[in-house]
Parts: sequence; C-alpha cells; structure tokens
Amino acid sequence: MNIEQQIKDSLSQVALLANCQLIADINNDTVLLQSGLDSLGFAMLVAQLEEDLGIDPFSQMQIAVYPRTFGEFVGIYQQALKG
Amino acid sequence: MTLLQRLEQANYQTTAIIAGSGSSFSQLVANARQLRLKNPALQHQAIALVYTDLSSFCAQLLAFDGWCAKLYLLPDPALLPDNTWVFSGPAVTPPSRPENHPSTPADSDTQWFMATSGTTGTPKWISHSVNSLTRAVKINADSKTLRWALCYQPTRFAGLQVVLQSLLSGAALADCSNGDAAERLAKIQQAKVNAVSATPSLWRQLLMAGDIQSLALKQITLGGEIADQSILDTLSKLFPHARLLHIYASTEAGVGFAVADKKAGFPASWLTQGHSELAFKIDSQQHLWLKPPQQPDSKLAARLDNNGFLDTEDLVGVTAERVYFLGRASGLINVGGNKVVPEQVEQVLLQHPCVVQARVYGKSSSLLGQLVVADVQLTQGCDNKTLKLQLIQHCMASLARYQVPTQLNFVDNMATNASGKLSRQLKDKIQHD
Repeated sequence: MNIEQQIKDSLSQVALLANCQLIADINNDTVLLQSGLDSLGFAMLVAQLEEDLGIDPFSQMQIAVYPRTFGEFVGIYQQALKG
Repeated sequence: MTLLQRLEQANYQTTAIIAGSGSSFSQLVANARQLRLKNPALQHQAIALVYTDLSSFCAQLLAFDGWCAKLYLLPDPALLPDNTWVFSGPAVTPPSRPENHPSTPADSDTQWFMATSGTTGTPKWISHSVNSLTRAVKINADSKTLRWALCYQPTRFAGLQVVLQSLLSGAALADCSNGDAAERLAKIQQAKVNAVSATPSLWRQLLMAGDIQSLALKQITLGGEIADQSILDTLSKLFPHARLLHIYASTEAGVGFAVADKKAGFPASWLTQGHSELAFKIDSQQHLWLKPPQQPDSKLAARLDNNGFLDTEDLVGVTAERVYFLGRASGLINVGGNKVVPEQVEQVLLQHPCVVQARVYGKSSSLLGQLVVADVQLTQGCDNKTLKLQLIQHCMASLARYQVPTQLNFVDNMATNASGKLSRQLKDKIQHD
C-alpha cells in the first residue's frame, strides 16, 4: 500500500475515534485545517502513523514550513521515509 | 500602587485595545473611574469578573483593583465562590451584605483570586497580590511599540499576564483568544500584531494554519506547556530578529521566570546563582523547588519547607549545562495547555461495565505536547471489535474532548507498585536533542 493511501486510511480511522466529520473528498490541495480534523485529531493521526510507520517527522522537524495541505503532509512522510 | 494609579501616572496617549473602533488608554482610565463612581456599594466587597470583551474587562480590572477587597477572575460560572456575586456591569447593587463577609480597611490591597486546575481535578482559588501578578511586567522604550495578541483566556494566569504586560507597558492589545488556529491567525494579521504569547501547541497550529512569516514579529513568547527545542528552533529560524522567550510559571505559587537564550530548559547555573529574584533547588525526587521573593498563598503552606522554598511539583532532569522540564510529578497530563487529571479519566472508564481496571497516563506528542492514553483491563468475554469506539463514546459523554483517551490499550493485567497502587510512570522523555 502506498503512503498516501495508508495516511488516508489512518485519517478515516482517527476521525472515527476523534468524533470528527471529514469532508467528502480529501485531495492534495485540501487545507489540513479544513479537512474536518481538529488539532487533537491531527495529533492523534501523527501518533497513529508513528505506530504504523515507525516515524514521526514532526518530532525532529526543524524545517521552516509546516504542512498546510494534505499533499504537503503526505510529502513530509514520503521524504522522511526516504531519508 | 493600584493598577489605575499606575496608568494615571504613566499617562499613555495611545491605543490600548485594538478591536472595532478600539479604546485608548485615556478612555480605559475614564471608564474605570466611571465604574467606581457608579458602584460605591462594591467598595471593600468580594466580586467576580467574567470576560465579555477586552475593553470592558480591562476597565473593570482598573476600576476594581484597589476598590474591592477581593477580586475573583471567573473562567467558568460554575466556579463562583460563596458570598461573592458576579459583576455584570455597568452598575450592580450587591445583595444584602453577608454577616460573615470580611471587609477590609480602605487602604489595603485588593486580593486577586485565580482558579487553578489543582492536582486533584477540583479547582482551587489561589490568592495573589497585584504586586506579585505584575512582578514579571517589563517596561522599556520598545515595549510601547508592541501590539500584543491575547491568545489565552484572560481569566487564567497566562492570559492575565499578557493583559497586564500590555496595559502597564503602554502597548496595544488584540483579543485573539477564540476560534481555531486559522481564525486566530486571521485576527492576528488583521490587528497587525507584532507580539504573540501562546502555548507551543498553538504555535505549531499557527504554523500549519497559514503564512505566519508575513507577520513582523518582534516578540515571541511560549508558555503553558514545556517548550521543546524543535519549536524554539523553528520559530527562531523564521524570526531571527525577534526576542524569543519561553516562560515557566507555577501558577499556583504565582511565580515564574523567562528563558531568553532560545534553548529548551534553563541554565543549570541558576541552581547555584538564582535568577529573576528566585532561588532554585532540586530534591532527590527530581522535584523543582523555588523560593519566591513574596510569601505565597497560605493554602500552599504544606508545600513550603523551612527555608521558604516551595515544591513546584514539576519534575526536572539535569545535565551539566541545563535543567529540563519533564512534566508534573502528580502525573497531571498537559494536552496543548489543558490539564488532565489521570484519576478523573480512570474513574469514568471504570464506570463502563466492561472495564475492571484502568490506568491513564500521558504520552509525548510532537504536536500537542502530550496525549491521553489508557491501559484498560476488561471483564472476561467483553472484548469485541467495537468496544474501543464504545469506550471512547462513553468517555466523551462525561469528559471534555481533550480529556478523552486518544489511545486505548487492552491489557491482561495491570502493574501495581509496592503499596498496591497502580503505577503511573511518567512516559515523557527529555527532549533536548
């Protein structure tokens, strides 16, 4: 399964647990904070992905730009898994 | 000196509150004088203030400090103490004066009260003096040019610090304490804010919300949670010329200090040399003790030692150079600045028929500082696919969102320590790499 799909699956799982209503179509241009997940939901998503993928790119993140869109979010994980 | 006297003396001729048409300092002072004229009956009484908007709130603080005997800042109407009534403005007639209510002489200072989350989950009212509350206020030539964003609830310690810093230093203040990160960022941008005090978690959310680089920030303050090196590095790279502070505050004790070297924790040399009028020490349990210049609230007497040091109940780790914060000794969990008492969550979990034992603790989160995790032991035959969801829904029905476990682990047995209590080890680790 590719990373993007894996993140999407985790996203749906977390949204259910966090009682968040996700918007219907999440694509690369979706602004994270408008996806329906709140800040607690995001923290849960990052924690879930750390369990699934073994990495948390945010824990050592010293880059100037935090992800704003879903595409950027996926990109950070792809980059982290490569490195 | 009262707050009103200080502002009368400073005689600032600038904008105090940025909002709609805004309020100048002279308007705030005039409104405060009006409030006193209209409310002679409140003199020497105990009143509680609720927050409606910044201009009214600030005028009320100025009017009633030095006017009322006791001033309660009410973050939640349910917390209203006995023998106290809420000031709903512009003039209120207090009910008949309770016999047992102590009134104080005209020249005595107002006692301020703020609610803390406490270590048991039951909020405690802790008293402060205006001098102790304003001890950290910095006034210099530059402070008048600042435009502060209020990102905390102003009835809480961190928020009040921002309000007092802004008022007393002649700066302007905008209310950005409501809404999600995107809404707050819009307010910050609209108000042309150049000074922001927020939790590390809110800073991370603001970074995700949009283009904060476009803000001309001169002052960046982090407080309310442990500031890790990662967020300090990110902000100092984005704003290399801004003054970057992280604040440690023991709100119960009304003491705190700021660290300005852009590094997590604080210099180990402060343990021997002291800093910011405070003396520091660490006991064998890794608790940080502070000796404040003023006597803390008598309710805290049990936490004071013979030398006047107060147990902050914050756990620290020490390296050769640095002292790092690890979390609360009580196991209190800090989710993005919101305090969660593990026992309270455990009690709710235990109400569910399927739960035999529950252990709740914090787990490090790179986005919110900590998240709530629960290990749960189930009654036999109870495990099923939808149980996790059921338990979370069960918690949501009686807990605030940030208190609900974000992860549930079903375990076969629960470790107990020598005294038979559930062991609740702090799962946090030092973050300084």
